[in-house]
Amino acid sequence: MSDSPSETKVSFFEKHEFAIRRIHSLLGIVPLGLYMVVHLTTNASLLNGVETFQRAVFMIHSPGKLLPLIEWAFIFAPLLFHAILGVWIAKTGRTNSGQYRFASNKRYSWQRWTGMIGLVYLFLHIMHLHGGFHAQWWINSINGIGFGMFSPYNAGSSLVRAMDWGWGVVWPTIYLVGMLSLVYHLANGLWTAGITWGLWISPAAQARATKVCVAFGIVLTVISLSAWAGAVIPGEEDAQAMEAIENRMYEAGVEAGMVPENEEKRAHHSATDVEAGEEAVSDTEATAMTEFVPAS
Amino acid sequence: MIAFDQHAKRPEFINVRVKRQDGPGKEPYWQLFKIPYEPELNVITVLQRIAALGKDADGNKSFPVCWDCGCLEEVCGACTMVINGRVRQSCSALVDRLMEDNPDELVLEPMSKFPVIRDLMVDRSRLFRGLKRVKAWVPVDSYYDMGRGERQLREMQERNYPLSQCMSCGCCVEACPQYTKIELEQKPGESDEAFDARKNDAFDKAFVGPHAISQAMLFNNHPTGKALEGERLDALTAPGGIQACGNAQNCVAVCPKEIPLTTSIARAGRATTLHTIRKWFEK
Repeated sequence: MSDSPSETKVSFFEKHEFAIRRIHSLLGIVPLGLYMVVHLTTNASLLNGVETFQRAVFMIHSPGKLLPLIEWAFIFAPLLFHAILGVWIAKTGRTNSGQYRFASNKRYSWQRWTGMIGLVYLFLHIMHLHGGFHAQWWINSINGIGFGMFSPYNAGSSLVRAMDWGWGVVWPTIYLVGMLSLVYHLANGLWTAGITWGLWISPAAQARATKVCVAFGIVLTVISLSAWAGAVIPGEEDAQAMEAIENRMYEAGVEAGMVPENEEKRAHHSATDVEAGEEAVSDTEATAMTEFVPAS
Repeated sequence: MIAFDQHAKRPEFINVRVKRQDGPGKEPYWQLFKIPYEPELNVITVLQRIAALGKDADGNKSFPVCWDCGCLEEVCGACTMVINGRVRQSCSALVDRLMEDNPDELVLEPMSKFPVIRDLMVDRSRLFRGLKRVKAWVPVDSYYDMGRGERQLREMQERNYPLSQCMSCGCCVEACPQYTKIELEQKPGESDEAFDARKNDAFDKAFVGPHAISQAMLFNNHPTGKALEGERLDALTAPGGIQACGNAQNCVAVCPKEIPLTTSIARAGRATTLHTIRKWFEK
């Protein structure tokens, strides 16, 4: 608190704090919460089969050059807004669930802790698999430290191999903690948003809403554990089998005009020693295909 | 259970640990007192016994502990303090009950969200500033006979009566994790008026508190009070308004009057949502 008496002016942020925080609340549900549900469900589809998952990823990547715009407008920008304001909100309060051990007060504390865990986790997750930017030189440079490992056109196999890094323990643990934190954050955030916006008012209505949010949280936990299992359980042999299927789907998809041709979205793990980056830039022909002989 | 159990074993002494502070801005310190056990004491009488004793547990001479009180029947809110880690009124805090939970000692602290004046006495002016911010009153500013008031339906009476029991004690804001302490110091040469203005400035940007939100909902639901509905909702969407609530719901859990504060907060959430959308399209 400033001591200067001239501080009667209200900053832009203070003037619009109400609207900004309502936007923060809304963004947490749409698009972020909605996106999270779709994302986890898509990943859980890997349990059904490599084809199911790869089909979904082909569809997600069908906007082609528009994809980065969609990602930034509907995921990264809202996420940054929600995260930055969320950290600020957490700093405006002083958790006291040790002193006042009410269930709702513990939920309040956990909402803040899971938000912080989720923020660190999402940064790691995006860097680990997505890489943040699509530029090939960037992806190539972070590949060296085990980041940017996801190849959308070899979705299942590159995901499985990425999770194997760190003796198959480090990443799976980070993902488990991060995902469950965010599932809690979304389910509890849904409940508090209902109060914030004035949807459920009476204690009885709030108790009913609690049941709905708990049920939602349980379902989403099952989905997220399925997504986790789908990526963690398969080993290198499974990954090779997956890759063969994915390559077949890619070739057939390109042939049929269903999948936009894009070598950069394929796994280049076997080509790192022959400078995949240069090749991807210079090579317009399908000669690079020879690298992707199924390993069977 | 308030009735005194005749057969229970009673201790010889009561240990009372008090968090003391000699004045605003001074360092707080702990002092232990030991008073002979008497049945059916409340915390106010304990503090009176300490004052009569005039010395701490080690036998050192000590000034009486300073505290605030008024009605002694839990309707004025003045004697609110933190007793064994939980905020409540000291008049209705019965020592025999407290010793069931913690037989070793009684721990008394001033409320942590307000500036300490001395010992257990705090300056709660921010609490009342919150009520002014939301215009927690009925606007009647003439002596003319305005005729009969609007008829109040029973349902409305039943909704309003619990909210009208608020005694502005400060329990809700003490337990609220979003209501944080604001303590300013008067600068050398600063007039009282200038200091007050500076304090109010700081108070007005900070969270208004559950009690004020609830009073805003009470008067917005009052036949005459609702004339100021828009102004109250403007105040609740201003800096430090309803948006600062984090839904920890401690307020309703600690309220000694069992006022449905979180219901008021949710109601205010809905009212401000609609009010803001209406303003967005009408202005």
